[in-house]
Amino acid sequence: MGNTPLRKVGIALGAALILIWCLLPVAWIISLSFKSQESITNGSPGFFPSEGGFAGWDNYVAAWDNEQFRRAIFNSIGISLIATLLSVIVATLAAYAIARLEFRGKKLVLSTALAIAMFPVVSLVGPLFDMWRAIGLYDTWPGLIIPYMSFTLPLAIWTLAAFFREIPWEMEQAAQVDGATSWQAFRKVIVPLAAPGVFTAAILTFFFAWNDFVFGISLTSTEAARPIPASLSFFVGSDPFNRPASLLAAGAVIATLPIIVIVLAFQRKIVAGLTSGAVKG
Amino acid sequence: MGDPQGRGAGSAVRRVGIGAALVLAAGTLSACSSDGKPTLNWYINPDGQATLTSLAERCSTDDYDIAIQLLPTGATDQRTQLARRLAANDSSTDLMSLDPVFVAEFANAGWLAEFEGDAADAVVDDDVLSGPADTVQWDDKVYAAPQWANTQVLWYRQSLAEQAGIADALQDGTATWSQVIDAASENGATVGVQADRYEAYMVWINSLVQGAGGDIVSDTEAGVDAQVDIDSDAGRAAAAVVQQLADSPAAQSDLSVSREGTSLGAMYGDGPGEFMTNWTFVYKNYEGTVSDEEFADLAWARYPRTVEGEESAPPVGGIDIGVGAFSEHPDWAIEAAQCVTDPEAQLQLAVNDGLMPARASVYEEQELVDAYDAGLLDLYRESIEAGGTRPKSAFYNQISGAVQSTWHPPASVDPEKTPRESADFIRDVLQGKALL
Amino acid sequence: MSATTTAPAGVAKTPKSKNASDRSVAENRLGMKLVAPALVVMLFVTAFPMLQALWLSLSNYALTAPDDRSFVGAQNYVTALSDPLFWRTMLVTVGIMVVTVFFELVIGFVFALVMHRVIFARGIIRTSILIPYGVITVVSGFAWQFAFSSTNGFVNAWVPFIEDNFNWFGEQFPALFAICVSEIWKTTPFMSLLLLAGLAQVSEDMIEAAKVDGATWWQRMWKVILPNMRAAIMVAILFRALDAFRIFDNIFVMTGGAVNTESVSFLTYRQVIEQFQIGMGSALSVLLFLSVLVIAFGIVKLFRVDLAAARQEG
Repeated sequence: MGNTPLRKVGIALGAALILIWCLLPVAWIISLSFKSQESITNGSPGFFPSEGGFAGWDNYVAAWDNEQFRRAIFNSIGISLIATLLSVIVATLAAYAIARLEFRGKKLVLSTALAIAMFPVVSLVGPLFDMWRAIGLYDTWPGLIIPYMSFTLPLAIWTLAAFFREIPWEMEQAAQVDGATSWQAFRKVIVPLAAPGVFTAAILTFFFAWNDFVFGISLTSTEAARPIPASLSFFVGSDPFNRPASLLAAGAVIATLPIIVIVLAFQRKIVAGLTSGAVKG
Repeated sequence: MGDPQGRGAGSAVRRVGIGAALVLAAGTLSACSSDGKPTLNWYINPDGQATLTSLAERCSTDDYDIAIQLLPTGATDQRTQLARRLAANDSSTDLMSLDPVFVAEFANAGWLAEFEGDAADAVVDDDVLSGPADTVQWDDKVYAAPQWANTQVLWYRQSLAEQAGIADALQDGTATWSQVIDAASENGATVGVQADRYEAYMVWINSLVQGAGGDIVSDTEAGVDAQVDIDSDAGRAAAAVVQQLADSPAAQSDLSVSREGTSLGAMYGDGPGEFMTNWTFVYKNYEGTVSDEEFADLAWARYPRTVEGEESAPPVGGIDIGVGAFSEHPDWAIEAAQCVTDPEAQLQLAVNDGLMPARASVYEEQELVDAYDAGLLDLYRESIEAGGTRPKSAFYNQISGAVQSTWHPPASVDPEKTPRESADFIRDVLQGKALL
Repeated sequence: MSATTTAPAGVAKTPKSKNASDRSVAENRLGMKLVAPALVVMLFVTAFPMLQALWLSLSNYALTAPDDRSFVGAQNYVTALSDPLFWRTMLVTVGIMVVTVFFELVIGFVFALVMHRVIFARGIIRTSILIPYGVITVVSGFAWQFAFSSTNGFVNAWVPFIEDNFNWFGEQFPALFAICVSEIWKTTPFMSLLLLAGLAQVSEDMIEAAKVDGATWWQRMWKVILPNMRAAIMVAILFRALDAFRIFDNIFVMTGGAVNTESVSFLTYRQVIEQFQIGMGSALSVLLFLSVLVIAFGIVKLFRVDLAAARQEG
């Protein structure tokens, strides 16, 4: 290439493009959430709230005052956390075996994981609904936690296995030689080394559970278990005949906040997890 | 990141414990209230939440409490949520607010408890308007109690109608859709309807067809073998109206995704206003949100005619209260259903929320007369009585879905093709020969 | 990454027990025990329901008319496969898949190149690129639906040659365009991260060598970089294509399947959950599953994807 100034400009432009790409729609939904509901009804085209159509925090207050929405947040947090926890525990066991042990059926597990990662989720909705209503799991937390676990396991197993392969396991023995008990060796040496991988897998699993929509709308019918994405799609304002676009936007921003916080805090770990867990040459 | 992991295992176990406890709590929550008194769950649609909540309190007794559970906005979504619970034989669905068109389907599926004897006589006595009374009966049995009735009228601005010279025709109730659309086009105004692919579009089509003296389907007792009548002169007249609006400058730009709320803004927007067919809530919606001067300009007339010389068939909707067939307390639930549909309840819904009574006597109540323009109240009642109901079929949802599918988007409607195609499609869907 | 593949297994086998074959039997048993829970959970929610769907798909069974249930053999499949609606949804789905994966790949690759070379603001760029990835699909759908809205959005005002009151959701192609934009916006960052990982594995030495040999930037790209990223690109295509084929959330939120925008997933959902046609819905579920198999097989064969890499076999 040689032409370094040109190249620099190109990269700077590219970087600006990436930032616009990623942040513009987010800025838009935030801007929309500040349009007043009245101005939405009357039509308020444009990126920013029109003059006199600025709602302040009204939409956020109204969204938060919505009992169903608060329940949905509670459901989503609870269900996603439990699913994440269980999924990571089960995946850790499996990933350890895959990374460290030779056993028959390893290929079967990896193939199953691959198959499930590609599985068309909607095709399960019918039979699962039928099963859940028969065994009483319909519209309950476990009714969502179980499918979330199954569908996050492949990603969790891959991410963890990739991390575990990089752990210098011989250090465990070295510690034992130095007089540590095997539990101490495991706790002091292996756990700190494995922890980042487990943590990364947990974040990715949580994202999946938080994002799910198909199970969320088909396997629930009340706020007993309905998670945020489903709740947003059924969002009801004070005026039932008017879909409250700006109120919905406020709800959407609230639902996105946890994700943004996690991304800001753990950017490095997520990138490492995504790239190691999903593609290896 | 090293340190917190040590505590991971312990807190993990605790968290699972808490999680399990929460799950159990969520499961038992609905069954009993704290003092051991059973709770009846009432699934309501979002119209008039505040009034319904106070109704639930008033109708709670020493034997039971009534708790409100909120359903989504659209009629189709409400049906889906309820039907899924009932298909799962859910015993916690005690009372439910049902769009009248789904009573037949639910009753046929065995999901509704029958109102028998005195209870049946009480909920469909002579005071109940004939339209709503008809919606709660299936197979000669009573399966729900009418709570309120809804209807559509034509809302517009008096100044616009006078400018267009159709004010008199509107007040006589003789104006046709064609006249209204032309009047709007010639004066830079628009016509607001509901034509997104959802239930209210079916409401519009059904009224247009009935307004031309026809029906979409008849002999609906025959279930999947019902007679499909939409491929008729009436069906073609209805299609002609949809086509005329879609092709005219009076069509709103979001016609194909228009809903009850989307055309409200055009009434007092920049232009001369609009003609809008919409439900009764519109009056309360504008009252207080627009200036007094603008509000005084709001006018209303009977639903436009599809064809000249034939009385219009205004849409009729509303809510019936059904009792779940799997309820653990069906007798109490039926008692509660009567309580939440009594004249006092209907009066409150009408005065507070603009949801019109299903009982004739309530229209005479002073409190309601004071809350509304007398002419408007008469128009509502006249419309509900003259209104056309949608087909009463156990397969209504399929019929409606098939009609929506073939008639949407409105710009694709063609009188020569659409009625014929939709008739074929309804038949195929009912017979299980076509996917929907 | 590649260096680590052999070490752990070797370490694991360091002599602790005297008898090597005893040890491998024990290891075998332990391995199977450790993966058993994962395998059971994965299969319980997929294989078992899928078999049930297979069985249900042979009856005419609607939840709203439970008494009319009857065995109809393959009738549901015949009906579905001879129905123009099924093929239309299939065409729409494949169209969405091809278009979105193509643009994601191209834009994602550009993003990956930029991220690979950028020196300043690395953290900010990587953080922001994770935001679309983390945003709920439903939220993305709403954001773009409102953005394209003629009454409250900004797209009509910003894009030249588009009338201010143009209704994007009134016709099939504009509506599909809006859906694809939402889909591409959300998933391109993920694609770019996958490609970035692949890019990092291309050895700088080879690129330098090519440079010395006088290869232009374009030649280096086609002859050195892309061939060395092949595995990464192929696996990314495989995953994204199958993900795009399952598209549901955006369609549900943005059009509700109106104006002929239904995907196969959406059609299946509507049959099962809205129409309660469990029999026909199950038949569609099975057909959807088979389609995914066919597409996966097609991509693996056509692009010669390394399945071992896709399976993450270290």
